[in-house]
Amino acid sequence: MTHAKKFVTALTITAMAGFALAGCGNNPTDPATSGAGGSSSAAAGEDVAMTFWHNGTGDKSQAYWKDVVAAFETDNPGVTIEIQVVQNEELDGKLQTAMQAGTAPDIFLQRGGGKMAEMVDAGLVMDITDKIDADIKEAYGAGAFGFDTLAGKIYAMPMSAQPEGLWYSQDLFDQAGITTNPTDMASFNDAVSKLKAANIQPIALGAQDAWPAAHWYYSFALRECSQDVVENLATDKELADGCWLRAFTDLDTLAKTEPFNQGFLTTVAQQGAGSAAGLIANHQAAMDLMGAWEPGVIGDLTPDKETLPDLRWFPFPAVDGGEGDPDAIMAGSDGYSCSAGAPDACVKFLNFIAQKEYNEGYATAYATIPANSEAMGVVEDPALKAAATAFSKAPYSVLWFDTSLGQEVGNAVNNAVVALLAGQADPAAALAQMQAAVKAG
Amino acid sequence: MSETGVTATAVPGDALSKVNVRGGGATALPPSGVRRRRSKGLSWRGRLEITLLSGPAIVVFVLFVIVPVFVALYYSFFAWKGYGPATNFIGFDNYTWTLGNKDFWSAVGHNFAIAGLSLLFQGPLAVLLALLLNQKMRGRSLIRVLIFVPYVISEAIVGIGWRLMLSDTGAINGLLHRLGIDSIVSWISDPKIALWTLMFVITWKYIGFAVILMLAGLQGIPEELSEAAAVDGASYWQIQRHIMLPLLAPTIKIWAFLSVIGSMQLFDLVYIIWGQYIANISGTSTMAYFMAQNGRLSGQLGRGSAIAIVVFVISLVVALAFQKFVMNRNTEGALTSKED
Repeated sequence: MTHAKKFVTALTITAMAGFALAGCGNNPTDPATSGAGGSSSAAAGEDVAMTFWHNGTGDKSQAYWKDVVAAFETDNPGVTIEIQVVQNEELDGKLQTAMQAGTAPDIFLQRGGGKMAEMVDAGLVMDITDKIDADIKEAYGAGAFGFDTLAGKIYAMPMSAQPEGLWYSQDLFDQAGITTNPTDMASFNDAVSKLKAANIQPIALGAQDAWPAAHWYYSFALRECSQDVVENLATDKELADGCWLRAFTDLDTLAKTEPFNQGFLTTVAQQGAGSAAGLIANHQAAMDLMGAWEPGVIGDLTPDKETLPDLRWFPFPAVDGGEGDPDAIMAGSDGYSCSAGAPDACVKFLNFIAQKEYNEGYATAYATIPANSEAMGVVEDPALKAAATAFSKAPYSVLWFDTSLGQEVGNAVNNAVVALLAGQADPAAALAQMQAAVKAG
Repeated sequence: MSETGVTATAVPGDALSKVNVRGGGATALPPSGVRRRRSKGLSWRGRLEITLLSGPAIVVFVLFVIVPVFVALYYSFFAWKGYGPATNFIGFDNYTWTLGNKDFWSAVGHNFAIAGLSLLFQGPLAVLLALLLNQKMRGRSLIRVLIFVPYVISEAIVGIGWRLMLSDTGAINGLLHRLGIDSIVSWISDPKIALWTLMFVITWKYIGFAVILMLAGLQGIPEELSEAAAVDGASYWQIQRHIMLPLLAPTIKIWAFLSVIGSMQLFDLVYIIWGQYIANISGTSTMAYFMAQNGRLSGQLGRGSAIAIVVFVISLVVALAFQKFVMNRNTEGALTSKED
């Protein structure tokens, strides 16, 4: 009896220990396992399975990636890539979780900036500087890798360039009698009044997601702050320059003219007909401040799921007394990274998709501007063409401030801007919130 | 693992409620012969049975509840962004940050307000509905199903549905417009209204669960009692007031406990209906919402873990206090009356 009892107890303890050990297998503090990715790296000739996360939830972008992966798999027998589509707003958090759990995808969407720097610091992203094919490097041109470069090393293959500006409906502008696009705040406010007079909602704003509202602040800051200030963001930890406050004041002044769509605080950015992009797609509002992914997002929400024929683009207007160049552009770039432990086939895949043919396909599917300069010919949409031209002529371009300043500051600005728009914070309070986050981050 | 900050409280909270419920439920049951037999000592067979049956549950509980709490505790002392090992030890900075943040305390206030209002709204309503549905009447099972349906639907679906309907240009304002009421009501973003909107959705969502509990409680009350009272000339309302309600008290207390715990954990409905930021300006942010925002969304997972620990302690104190001051009397009353 007693022997049996002991045996059972021992058995139970062993079982428990076994479970516990199994749980420790994914030890979060072990960089070796956390970087290893979701699949084992295999030697050449063996079967390689990779995982791939992207944010292309639209029909066309989903189809594009399926086709590209199929083509790559045909070219590289034995390599299989499993695609997982992750909704844009969910992607960063999910990626972070997976990386920490040691189940990071081998290939994933990379936004660059501070977020990329954090991954690089933790040794989770593969340095692909010397692995990019020479002809790809040449086709892209030297500047194309700027947003994906850190201390001289490249960590992602850019697929698109996404200059920001105001996307608008030419039909609605015509209807309101706006003949020339606004170039400064005076003419911008004039256009807003004309649209209102014509019973058209001037600006669609997806403030429930907060980041589209924050982009208004970033754009004002780009115009208010000198090139020197915006390019040394990482070093100026105080945000002491007066331009940061002026940008909040500009946004406050604009908000007081009530230019945004009805119920903008309960409007999301991109999902459904009631979203900001949906309002543009259905001619319910005239303008939307966004990056160059916008035509694709809008195109997915039009009644016929085709790009909006009268969609056009103009750069963010200049502000009086602003120290920034009125031709400067804020932009981002969607690139694709390999996680640190990904197999060699991963870089092969990045080189594969960067080719002219597939970058063209990418730009078409996402209705955006390709990063490969040889693929630029595929841009026919007049709005995208205008944005691409402005981008290539910009004296300098700046990465989204929330991406370059990091999540902590981005989160604080999101909160501050929403509070400002809701009338619960004045510009000084909003700036204080942002400054506190910069100190903490 | 990087989600520790987010999941930690959710998991212990959840499990806590389950554990406590189990405890509360067991004590509320009348003692049976089983207990007396067990106290005489167990055969090895009995022990084997207990080990085999409870072993997996204990392993899972320890691995997914107890361990994460300690992992969160560990990370709460670091400035850790969630990538790679935590190296930047900062002592109690994350705790002082959390406890010194006025937004956190307003979130705590919202949690307690939601708990109080839930008891106030759902309790009486659930008892009344249960009394009604305890009668033999036509369409009773249909009404029962209808009341229970919202509880069965997942929070995510309910949240998205209500978000679409409650937005300024949503169906509810559209309906009001058709009825001739043209002033736009910002159900979600107006701080004067938002908390009541939330209470309405919560009540709608969880009333079914309360009603089912109360109904089960009512049906456990022997019919002879009310029959005898009726013979003695008690009116319907006298029977409900003096016989049914007192005997329903243990059930009401258990429901109240579940409701309070649920209110402390509230996250999903707010996060989905209000989105990642709007709850801050409309006064509906909860502790878990604050944690998601200042832990995960701001990429400060060490700080998120500290918030998780604080929330865990608050929930634990509330749960223990409830057990001590409300549940205990419940068992005393129930046990003595039965054993007398």
